Amino acid sequence: MSNKRIGTKNLGNVYLEGKRYRSRREWRGVVDTLYDYSRWLYNWINMFRIVLVKPRNIKAMFRYRWMANYLAVPMMVDRHTQGLRGEHLRICHAEQDVIIEDVAKLLDKLFRGDRRIGNDEEFSKKVVLVDENEMQSVMMGFPTVVPLSREIASTYIPVLLNQRAAIHYIDVAQEYGLAGDVCPMPEAEAGVSIDDDAPILGCCAVQCNTTCDGSLLSNGVISKRMEFEDGIPVFQLASPLRHTNEDVQEYAAQEIRNAIAFVEEHTGEKWDWDYYFECAKRVNYATKCRLEWLEMSKSPYPQVFGSNLALYTETNYMAISGRLPIFEKTDRKIMKLAEKAYKKKKMAANEYRHRAIVWGVQSHYYMDLLVWMLNCWGIVPLTDMLSMDNTTMIAEEDTPENREQAMYDIAMLTEKMIMRNRTHGGYKVLLDDLWEIVTEFNADMVILWEHMSCKALDGMHGMFEQRARELGINLVWVSHDLFDPRVVSRQGVRDQINTYMRTVMGEEPVDPTLEVLPDEESW
Amino acid sequence: MAKFYPVLKKLSLAGFSFFAVTFAVYYFNLDMKLTAAMEPVLEYFYDKVDRDQHL
Repeated sequence: MSNKRIGTKNLGNVYLEGKRYRSRREWRGVVDTLYDYSRWLYNWINMFRIVLVKPRNIKAMFRYRWMANYLAVPMMVDRHTQGLRGEHLRICHAEQDVIIEDVAKLLDKLFRGDRRIGNDEEFSKKVVLVDENEMQSVMMGFPTVVPLSREIASTYIPVLLNQRAAIHYIDVAQEYGLAGDVCPMPEAEAGVSIDDDAPILGCCAVQCNTTCDGSLLSNGVISKRMEFEDGIPVFQLASPLRHTNEDVQEYAAQEIRNAIAFVEEHTGEKWDWDYYFECAKRVNYATKCRLEWLEMSKSPYPQVFGSNLALYTETNYMAISGRLPIFEKTDRKIMKLAEKAYKKKKMAANEYRHRAIVWGVQSHYYMDLLVWMLNCWGIVPLTDMLSMDNTTMIAEEDTPENREQAMYDIAMLTEKMIMRNRTHGGYKVLLDDLWEIVTEFNADMVILWEHMSCKALDGMHGMFEQRARELGINLVWVSHDLFDPRVVSRQGVRDQINTYMRTVMGEEPVDPTLEVLPDEESW
Repeated sequence: MAKFYPVLKKLSLAGFSFFAVTFAVYYFNLDMKLTAAMEPVLEYFYDKVDRDQHL
């Protein structure tokens, strides 16, 4: 343990009761505060440059309810950088800043093609809408086609920015008779469509079967409006859920061929093998980096972990899929920082007490719980379920055999999409693999998110408990409702960990000011 | 060189002023305090949008 204090004491003192914001930003010492300030300025300049200087985007700001959440972008960065210093702060900014820029460009493109806002018809003809959980690997061979996700912009990102962002849309969906016990993520996406709050653009769309009843329900509601009212044809990519079975792979590859043919037909573009293999190289590089970061996390000095690992993996693996060179550049930057910190045996907080694997589907309205666990209780979230996706390299040389193999590779990446890889595929990938990962990472604790509307995982509750008891692992259940903080508030989430740490572990918090926070009304 | 001195002085002063103001906005979280005040204004416009709300 280091004797020099890392992170500010009393991080909880900046929270304000009943306010959206905190009283001030964190003082991190001269060098790190100036660095954080420079990134804050960079992000504002980027948001102005890409989004706010264009009149059509201002028009969109007053048209779409979910756009108000983007006012809270700097606050999201503050939440995820809380307590971080040196290389860990820089890793977090490298990731967050590139994601912010990417999302700003997504918004700009959505409004450029939107029939209500920019109405650029020529641009819209090259846009393919993809749903929020659709792996964009199916677009790796289309350099001139623009894949855009309306759901990422309208629901997925807003809840990261503002915990209450989806409430309006969940209520709208339920007012129209949709069941209240399905996952609130697809329910909110359906709510956006019902509320007539989704941009209308694109020559066609690709939806995937994702993972649950809620998702299928939502896709049905959204595609009905797109196909029958907006005249946007939709392809349903039905990826097999038993993805570890060999006998489903031919079917999975055929689904990919069908999706590609559909995009070719509607965009008039042809699959470009040179571009595909260029993207494949970047996918492999991202996989290689992630594996190296995970290796570091098996040691006493993890460097890329917690929300630094989770948020970036979700974006890079699923939404980018090797298509953007800037993410490869960011991978290299993070790798360099991580190696430097690892050599110096740097820690991201003052005290590491427990090594935890975070499993289950994390609360979206409280993604920064991972940072809180580290600062409040010294629990190091080494890795999480959604970051444990594909680990194999895909074919990256252009040969006739590899062109055939590519369809299987895209199918494999799609089957191992972050939300599908562990929640479907059988008992082994969800339950057995967890205990192997616990051993590999030398963890003494499992933080098990229990998303109460996720039927895929709730059925396994007793089995998790039984195995944890047999293996002597501290298993902490953390219930939440993914997009709806009215069901379990952020403090309700924290209380479950607080209670376990005080009663079962008999410990006192590292930073007691973080134990109870007045953030009910916070973004 | 002497004739550039006033220009340099003005540029330095402008740079320092920009830093001082933006750093104060950053440290005291004034950007978030302002955007929090904008939220109800935007809500007013969202409630007024004519929507074709249906399943």
